[in-house]
Amino acid sequence: MRGRRGIGASALAAAALFCGLPGTAAARPAAARQAFESGIVGLTISAQGWDQDRPWAKGAPQSRVALATVVEGPYLLTSAQMVSDATLIEVEKLGGSMRVPAKVVLVDPEIDLAILGVEAPGFFSDLKPVPIADAMPTEGAVQSVRWRQRQLEVSTSRVSRIEVQVTSLGGLEHPFLLVTTDLKGGGWAEPVFADGKFIGLTVSQDEQVARILPVDMISGFLAMARGPKPYPGFSGLGVRWQINEDPVLTASLRLPGVPRGVLVTGSNWGGSACGVLKPRDLLLSLDGHDIDASGFYRHPRYGLLRFTTITTDRHRAGDVLKAEVWREGKKMMLDVPLKATHTNGDLIPDRVPDRAPPYLIAGGLVLRELDGSYIRSWGDEWRRKAPIRLQLRYWLDSKDQEPGARRIVILSSVLPAAYNLGYHGLSDVAVTEINGRKVDSIAAAEEALKHPEGEFHRLVLEPNGQMAQVILDARTFDDATAEILESYRVPVVGREAPAPPDLGPACGQ
Amino acid sequence: MIRTPIGGALLLAVLTSLAAAPAAAAPPARRPAAPKPPAAPAPKASTAEVPIPSEDGFEHSVVRIINYSQRGDWFSPWDVTGVRASSGTGFVIEGGLLLTNAHVVSDARLLLLYLHGDPTPHKARAVMLGHDCDLALVRPEEKDLLTDIPVLPLGGLPPLRSAVETYGYPAGGDQISSTRGVVSRIETQVYAHSGVDRHVAIQTDAAINPGNSGGPMIQNGRVVGVAFQGTDMLENTGFGIPVEVIRHFLDDAKDGKYDGYPDLAIFESNLENPAARRRAGMRDGESGVRVDFVNDGGSAEGHLEVGDVLLEVDGTPIASDGSVLMEGLRFDYGLMVDRHQIGENLKVRILRDGERRDLVFPLVAHPGTSRYASQYDVLPRYYIYAGLVFEPLNVEMLETSGRDWVVSADKRLVQEQIFRPLSDPKALLREPVVLLRRLDDPVNINIAWYRGQLVTRANGKEIDSLAGLIEAIESNQAPFHVLELAEPGRFIVLDRKGSDEASPRILERYGVLKDRNP
Repeated sequence: MRGRRGIGASALAAAALFCGLPGTAAARPAAARQAFESGIVGLTISAQGWDQDRPWAKGAPQSRVALATVVEGPYLLTSAQMVSDATLIEVEKLGGSMRVPAKVVLVDPEIDLAILGVEAPGFFSDLKPVPIADAMPTEGAVQSVRWRQRQLEVSTSRVSRIEVQVTSLGGLEHPFLLVTTDLKGGGWAEPVFADGKFIGLTVSQDEQVARILPVDMISGFLAMARGPKPYPGFSGLGVRWQINEDPVLTASLRLPGVPRGVLVTGSNWGGSACGVLKPRDLLLSLDGHDIDASGFYRHPRYGLLRFTTITTDRHRAGDVLKAEVWREGKKMMLDVPLKATHTNGDLIPDRVPDRAPPYLIAGGLVLRELDGSYIRSWGDEWRRKAPIRLQLRYWLDSKDQEPGARRIVILSSVLPAAYNLGYHGLSDVAVTEINGRKVDSIAAAEEALKHPEGEFHRLVLEPNGQMAQVILDARTFDDATAEILESYRVPVVGREAPAPPDLGPACGQ
Repeated sequence: MIRTPIGGALLLAVLTSLAAAPAAAAPPARRPAAPKPPAAPAPKASTAEVPIPSEDGFEHSVVRIINYSQRGDWFSPWDVTGVRASSGTGFVIEGGLLLTNAHVVSDARLLLLYLHGDPTPHKARAVMLGHDCDLALVRPEEKDLLTDIPVLPLGGLPPLRSAVETYGYPAGGDQISSTRGVVSRIETQVYAHSGVDRHVAIQTDAAINPGNSGGPMIQNGRVVGVAFQGTDMLENTGFGIPVEVIRHFLDDAKDGKYDGYPDLAIFESNLENPAARRRAGMRDGESGVRVDFVNDGGSAEGHLEVGDVLLEVDGTPIASDGSVLMEGLRFDYGLMVDRHQIGENLKVRILRDGERRDLVFPLVAHPGTSRYASQYDVLPRYYIYAGLVFEPLNVEMLETSGRDWVVSADKRLVQEQIFRPLSDPKALLREPVVLLRRLDDPVNINIAWYRGQLVTRANGKEIDSLAGLIEAIESNQAPFHVLELAEPGRFIVLDRKGSDEASPRILERYGVLKDRNP
């Protein structure tokens, strides 16, 4: 640590945060406090999500308290989850008496980061962007900082390990720093420092283990945010794979030598590997990094990391990586153009932040697009309580989007009325066709209902053992729907969603 | 009755297993740890011919049964479980036989009878087992043991709110007990013994406890039910098998072989909505249900079609909710099918393409239903090669993942077991094969996927039976065996020569006597 070499007062002050050097104890708290006071603000966020059972209604308003860190811009950096579904964001400084509004300037829910702007004149005049480290530490102590009762709370944490994990929306993988902390109840975007420099934000905490989104990713995000528009975004490989430790399997693929590389079992439409990697390919290296049979590569700083993070390590969408592939007995070099990850292009998105769920009331039948938020609305025990058929689709088919099959529309429930007698017991079953037309979105459902089959609407359900199709009287459909809306106090008959993102050509495998 | 092997019964089983993961709380318990409720039917003789025992004579006809049983082990299919002791009740019927529940005498290695007031144990054996209706016939090894014991005559369906007396040997004592209750409900229920079959059951508030199973429910001197199961969801509740089911069982058993219940093997849906009825071409006042799906291999294949409206079965009108009126109560129309034996004809009136027509066709059992029912008196079928243990997919195999297998088993297995037969008419004619587990050995230790994986192809051949897998492996001459799994892109490779050499070594190391029970 620089402080031990005594090269300057500021360095001493910074180092004194961590080194506990005698003689600097009096300077340490003041310097640290000043750095934190001028670089950290508190957020109070009012948020309101949607009622998953009644998608026309909002859920209960909630309030969150989080942290934001001052960065060059000047802007405020926080996690995307903190500002998800926000109706009002207010910011206050330590010692300040007033909150002022802030607004989201850029949010990337895939990497879970957001930057906020504040228009109040002079707000940033006594704030200073935090110094940002080049990389996260691999060992030693770090400090987590937050507000508590208008006081700064600085907690010491100890680096436990670095581990590649999936991001909260499930579309990217990158290293997270896991630390053992004495901070209680963290995970609200508390900034973390090492040697006086910002090294990341805490995005979750499980008992005394905090998970930190590291500066490596944050720096990439900030660089892209400041760079040319449009914002390119981070990229996942979008590949399904398995370990390749079995020498017999390797021999069957005619790869000489010891097992190495990972076995590709498929790729997702819209992912970077789509159209490039094929099932039964062995991915031997990516971006010059050799991949071992367990799926790890050696990062120059962080040691063995899972290869899936290569695309997020100082790369962005638009970059092209070289992949060394073993295919059908031959080695080849392939270009992998990195595509921005958009999990809202999935067949069953895990969550689409800040989006009201698309739905349609059709003769009292509540139709909606299936997503992970709906399945998790069964609570903590959703794995036991959520309908098993929907769960299986979620576990097995989430990324099986195809041209012409972009979403799953389900009949989630029925608002009972005489008009829909006989169907009151239906719930949570997919609708595959309406009036002979395939349905893969609420928009498609709405369009199909404009074309009845003679006097009837016919909704074909995914095989469920209970009912194959719903028949409704098309002649009285509109009047009945209006009456049901009024009876059940549903303000609007439906809501479309923006079309899913264009994922380019199909993978062609 | 299994109207279809899946549909309502299986969906109910799925929902029940989801809700009752910790303990067998809700009806139907998949497999009662100790026999719960008894019920008592009477055999085939007409009521006029069998003398009605005096009131204090019933006890003499009621027998205590002790079963020392042993089951197959589906997780280690070459092995068996430990010995289990359980007790239940039976009662004397004609022909020197006792009637009891199948679950009282299943998997028996030794059956002992204790007659009323007699401490002497008497050996016996189960001579007829109906696992799909939880009934069994037991014969003592001593000829004439039951000669002087009054036979209990069969009655009919007891009226609602009438009183019944249940006799048996419940836990908590060695003496016979009797409890009195009223008939509180009569409706179709899943019979917990198989876990998938649904028949009529009599619900009473008579206290019925473990050990009562197999005992007679008596009304006016006649047997009106066999106590057989209970539920933790309701207090003071027990269930009995009614005489109708008993007679079906006894009639089937007459030829010395129990064939079981026929299956239509269809799904149908209600036509309660007027628009649905109008679209189907039904007249005002007409009622029925729509055939939504026909499984190959069942009675309906080749006779009923998707879109048909079932109007009547055996001359009885079907309501638009699928019920029929029987003896003043409404039951699912499948009960009419249940009243038949396999091989008998069923008459249905249908509406098809605007035309009303009568169809008559023979009833058969569906070969695919065993996959959904608990297995008794059989050992698991399996095949072991290179230390990889393969079994057919069935509910016993799935329960090696736990009672909550719907949640805990591999998702592809759950999908194949529950949902594929809802959309693929031929699904139940196939026997999916699962790689259950691995007996570790250098020849297989590096395989990435080896626990609970559905095998779809082996050496290029589609696998739809255990026999098919064995053939695909044993006929392969290529250097490698390649097993493709249900998960897209996932596969296993075995070195053929090394595996052939390793297989006997692995069996010996793990104490496996035979590499297969096909």
